[in-house]
Amino acid sequence: MTPLRIAFVLAALCGVAAWQVSVIPTSLMQMTVGASLVPAAVVAGLSVLALLYGISAWRGGQADESLQEDQSPLPGANRRLLFLLGGGLAFMGLVVPLGFILPATLCGMGVARAFDAPLNFKSFTLCGLIAAVFWVVFAHVLGVGLGPGLPWLI
Amino acid sequence: MSSLDALLAGFGNALQPVTLMWGFVGCFVGTLVGVLPGIGPALTIALLLPLTYHVPATSMFVMFAGIYYGAAYGGSTTSILIKTPGEASSMMTALEGNKMARRGRAGQALATAAIGSFVAGTIGTLALTFFAPMVVEAALAFGPAEYFSLMVLSVVAVSAVLGNSMLRGLIALGLGALLGLVGIDLQTGQPRFTFGQASLLDGIEVTVAAVGIFAVGEALYLAWQGRESKAGEVMKLSGSLWMSKSDWARSWKAWFRGAFYGFPIGAMPAGGAELPTLLSYYTEKKLSKHPEEFGHGAIEGVAGPEAANNAAAAGVLMPLLTLGIPTSATAAIMLSAFEGYGIQTGPQLFASQSSLVWTLIASLYIGNIILLVLNLPLVGLWVKLLKIPPPWLYAGIIVISTAGVYGAGNSVFNVGLLYVFGLIGYAMRRFDFPAAPLIVGLILAPMAEQSMRQALTISMGEWSTFVTRPLSASLLAIAALLLIGPALWRKVSSR
Repeated sequence: MTPLRIAFVLAALCGVAAWQVSVIPTSLMQMTVGASLVPAAVVAGLSVLALLYGISAWRGGQADESLQEDQSPLPGANRRLLFLLGGGLAFMGLVVPLGFILPATLCGMGVARAFDAPLNFKSFTLCGLIAAVFWVVFAHVLGVGLGPGLPWLI
Repeated sequence: MSSLDALLAGFGNALQPVTLMWGFVGCFVGTLVGVLPGIGPALTIALLLPLTYHVPATSMFVMFAGIYYGAAYGGSTTSILIKTPGEASSMMTALEGNKMARRGRAGQALATAAIGSFVAGTIGTLALTFFAPMVVEAALAFGPAEYFSLMVLSVVAVSAVLGNSMLRGLIALGLGALLGLVGIDLQTGQPRFTFGQASLLDGIEVTVAAVGIFAVGEALYLAWQGRESKAGEVMKLSGSLWMSKSDWARSWKAWFRGAFYGFPIGAMPAGGAELPTLLSYYTEKKLSKHPEEFGHGAIEGVAGPEAANNAAAAGVLMPLLTLGIPTSATAAIMLSAFEGYGIQTGPQLFASQSSLVWTLIASLYIGNIILLVLNLPLVGLWVKLLKIPPPWLYAGIIVISTAGVYGAGNSVFNVGLLYVFGLIGYAMRRFDFPAAPLIVGLILAPMAEQSMRQALTISMGEWSTFVTRPLSASLLAIAALLLIGPALWRKVSSR
């Protein structure tokens, strides 16, 4: 990813947003300002800004932390990102059939792996403990609707 | 009822055991998040928000205020002992405080930071107590046109002045505004930016966006870097926590000067805490009898900026409580908390929720005392927290973030949105886009649109209403000046 690519992403976002503005239904109510004026103005403003950003990025005037010596990523950056996002995906996919604690444990293990902790029994135990404590405190003590903690409680 | 009577009644409520307990919890959690690098008060309040709607509003806001003040206190510990300023406003403390720690005076650095924070926090709260009712009185004359202009000024100020680039700040603001407009239009009932998804009809939850950007985004960025795998080097807690006579003599004036910089600048729309801490540092350097010590561990260089930082924290509450205008990410989250509890913010807050507001202000005084008691004697505990290995720290943060968002409505869709915002936060961090304008835009855009439409309805569609009303015109003029002023200044100074 580079600032120029970010500019393209912004431009694409503005395109999609403009299409969404065009499909806002016209209200039958008599209004001084309708539902689409402000969204259209925001999209127009953002498009101009995205264009300015793109020009500046093309001229090399925009920042990318990965180019700084003390900020650049160590090898394996994408793998670490995927582990963290994978943990989130595991939670999303499993929380309904398995309850909160096991998916949250897997989510925690993914995050820990992203920070270079090995995927082993210690990681499983610690993340399981974190998930169980949160479930007990929030679902049990504070009454937050986290759903059942374990599959056999569903 | 006069302000003083209302404040006394507020003390009566704040000193109730249950409220006091929430205040204590807030101060404890606030110090904890201030100490731990990478977690700020905005994230913590956003995280706790969906988990705490079962608790009465007064208790919750007392806790949030404790978190807010506590984080400002706790940040100094990290700055002094591991030279990692959690926020830009702690930069000067990190510079001088860490040098003091390296010279074996960590105890005195922590003590002057804590006592200075107490003194300045109390001065800031006093100023809030006496000036807030005056601002409210003036603000009662505001109509929708003035509100719209004030919101424009706030968002422009937050985007244009904060961060390293006005362009990137304005893009973040535009993105926030776009996201704030997602959902059903309240006046016409038309869906906007929903892509036909029923889950988006209610709009994007501020907490999902804030937690995604601050927690998941930060974790993704640090994981991408791969430089956080081990806990950082923590300085040994050296030197007595008792300050010598000379330390007191060199600190007390710096505390007061810092407080007098911090509060008024913090209360301005884009004031923040960075500018007063910098001003305080350079003032102390100029006035010190030992200027040669600056850069090598001068106690005034810790005392002044820390005091300015805490007074600014009180200042930020002024526009929030009196006008309903957030000027920082944390204030924006607190505003959304008011909305979550169905409380109308703005000048009428002091009339409609007088008990809550004055209890909150009273709890700030009490919180300052709790924080002083918590910070110094428990400094050993806070130091131990700095040694938590990052894998388990971030595993805890992400699991609680996911639990918080999932627990708010059992929505897997919102958890997905949380990670999407995480990716946005990661990109923003990597390409140096400031996060605060996005959050402020997300909250203020729909409110500004509402005010604009009300103003136009009242003026029978006359757009000139925004520039013919003197107050509204002045606010818009200041906003325009903030936008073009820096570029003009650069042009003039380059000649």
